[in-house]
Amino acid sequence: MDETALITSAQSGDLDAFNTLILHYQDSVFNTALRILGDEDQAQDAAQEAFISAFKSITSFRGGSFKAWILRTVTNACYDELRRQKRRPTTPLEPETSDGEEMDSPKWLADSSMTPDQKAEADELEHAIQHCLDALPTEFRTVVVLADIQGMDYTEVATASRVPLGTIKSRLARARLRLRECLRSFEELLPASFRLESESTR
Amino acid sequence: MKNFREIEHLSAYLDGQLNQAESARLESRIKSDPELNSVLSDLRATRSLLRKLPARKAPRNFTLTRKMVGLKPPLPRTYPLFRLATTFAAVLFLLSFSVNALSPYFSFGAAAPAFGYGGGGGGDATAMEEAPAAEEPMMEMAPAEVMETPASDSGSEATEESMRNMEATPEAEIAPKDAQPEATAESQPQELQPQPEVQNEAPVPTLWVIAFLVIGVLSALVMWFMRQSAASKWR
Repeated sequence: MDETALITSAQSGDLDAFNTLILHYQDSVFNTALRILGDEDQAQDAAQEAFISAFKSITSFRGGSFKAWILRTVTNACYDELRRQKRRPTTPLEPETSDGEEMDSPKWLADSSMTPDQKAEADELEHAIQHCLDALPTEFRTVVVLADIQGMDYTEVATASRVPLGTIKSRLARARLRLRECLRSFEELLPASFRLESESTR
Repeated sequence: MKNFREIEHLSAYLDGQLNQAESARLESRIKSDPELNSVLSDLRATRSLLRKLPARKAPRNFTLTRKMVGLKPPLPRTYPLFRLATTFAAVLFLLSFSVNALSPYFSFGAAAPAFGYGGGGGGDATAMEEAPAAEEPMMEMAPAEVMETPASDSGSEATEESMRNMEATPEAEIAPKDAQPEATAESQPQELQPQPEVQNEAPVPTLWVIAFLVIGVLSALVMWFMRQSAASKWR
């Protein structure tokens, strides 16, 4: 795939060229939205909005990392969605105790429909991490999703989140610290291979 | 617990964002400080966990359609010309139609004779109405002059003149009686006749109005075909 040629064609209004780019980046865009929003339906909406917005403003792309540029679009779409949620809060679908309090125990994280142990472990891990990600402030969450989940370097993260490089370093360190603290509370739930203590090699 | 500056350095070191000198300095500190080493291990484990998070496949394709981005099929270059023609024809049609429809209610009919639009009928009608009015004063004045004649001391010419008037008076008296039915008989068709003429000869010729309508409809049809053709080609 000649990305530069596709971008040039898309900039001249070629929708097919842009759709080729979409097919290439849609997984990254959807995953970023999913980790920032924590909800699959909302992530789909945000991803679609991001691609529409990206096509309409593709002439503003002046080179550099296209992935960073497209992820910035989806990040903005996620921020819009989060702001919308803040204005019109919805009731979470998390189970509640008989007292009406939200259950924050590891039990609700387990997905009863999954039978294979490994799948269950992976899902539990994913739920635990997502739970901790959701607990982060949005700007920290965005940086950690882009750097650690999407594997972008600091420069790309800075481009995608429109934040100076120094701020990216600071936010990433804080986000990792908070995640570490949060994940400690799920340590019993986490499979042995995912326990924090077991990681020592780089 | 280490201060945040140190943790920030550890996080950047983990990502290879420190320069060689900073990395060497930090590495020597990590070796000598077990707490710093422990924090580094935790940060690394956290990052490792995040990286192991399974990447979800997009549940559907997010490819865009032309409708989604509001793209319209490219229309032929002549399309704006037809659009302009349709607009002009429609405006002219409405204008001319309105003018023709409203002309009987305004002074178009009275003004018309001055400009020669079917003025003959209108002018005759006015003359017909004025004719008896002009004769009536004469008829009324005639007896008065007759009455005055004996009292006047004028000469034979005046007497002859009054005699002529006396002779004329019976004719004038008879004439209106005879002329009245004739005049009414003639004036009725003449009064009715001019009105249809005024309506027929409208300010804007009917042919023009029809032409505007036809041009407008044809242009609109051509535009519609152009749009359909462009849309079918685009698909």
